[in-house]
Amino acid sequence: MKTKVDFPTINERPPEGTRPDGSPFRVLIVDDSMFVTKQIGQILTSEGFDVVGTAGDGEEGLEKYKQLFPNVDLVTMDITMPKMDGVTALEKIIQFDKNAKVVMISALGKQDLVKKSLLLGAKNYIVKPLDRKKVLERVVHSLQS
Amino acid sequence: MRVEYINPFVEAAYNVLSEVLGVEIKRGNLYLKSATKSVMGVAAIVGLAGEVEGRVLFDMSKVTAIKIASAMNMEELKEFDDLAKATITELANMITAQAVTKLHDLGFRFDLTPPALISGDNMEVSDQEVEALIVPMESELGNIEINVAVRERG
Repeated sequence: MKTKVDFPTINERPPEGTRPDGSPFRVLIVDDSMFVTKQIGQILTSEGFDVVGTAGDGEEGLEKYKQLFPNVDLVTMDITMPKMDGVTALEKIIQFDKNAKVVMISALGKQDLVKKSLLLGAKNYIVKPLDRKKVLERVVHSLQS
Repeated sequence: MRVEYINPFVEAAYNVLSEVLGVEIKRGNLYLKSATKSVMGVAAIVGLAGEVEGRVLFDMSKVTAIKIASAMNMEELKEFDDLAKATITELANMITAQAVTKLHDLGFRFDLTPPALISGDNMEVSDQEVEALIVPMESELGNIEINVAVRERG
């Protein structure tokens, strides 16, 4: 039976985490919560993204970005973190690479810091609690901008 | 204690728990406790300081904590490990952030400490000169008590 002809694959769509040539977008996750890191990682890898690094604070995030550069396409950046907060880390990443694509991950009630981040060059932001749709929408949009 | 401080925590806990757990949440009856109160086994504590001061405690049994962490991670966790701890801390973070946003909108000005998680058996919490109001939240995963002890800075 020629199943492929009988049943056209109407449900097939390319995963959102890959380029047209099939290579994955590479993401660095910076967050001090193991739970949030895992949650973002699961959502992104299920769509074909490649999580190339994780960091637990802003300082480590900045270091990892420099190490990975230019083989990193996007950063998700928590705002409240020990050692160096996400807004400062964003600022330093943009100083290092003005084309860096950074998406801020924020708790509710941090509008001022989110605004500051967007002015500093963050591409977008996601307010927790995170869900799949929200994360993918904002990440994909930031990669296209 | 003024009820204005409590309602935002009740609403935020209800909203966040419903959203992240995907199960039905029922609000139990509020009650006041002025003396020492026992803690169920796992408690996330957040401090408030500013025009109002005090603390909020998210209190649950270890079994409930593991069930909630499992639901939020969409995988069955066997013990109260680092991932489970990070998950409950994040839950406390999300509820507090939502409650505080409402309180700030109502004009109260104060800062928060990051949540600290304490766990163990036979624990008690004592609040000097502040009565604690307890809001039970019931679900099929177990009960969480939101224990709020705040006052205006005199």
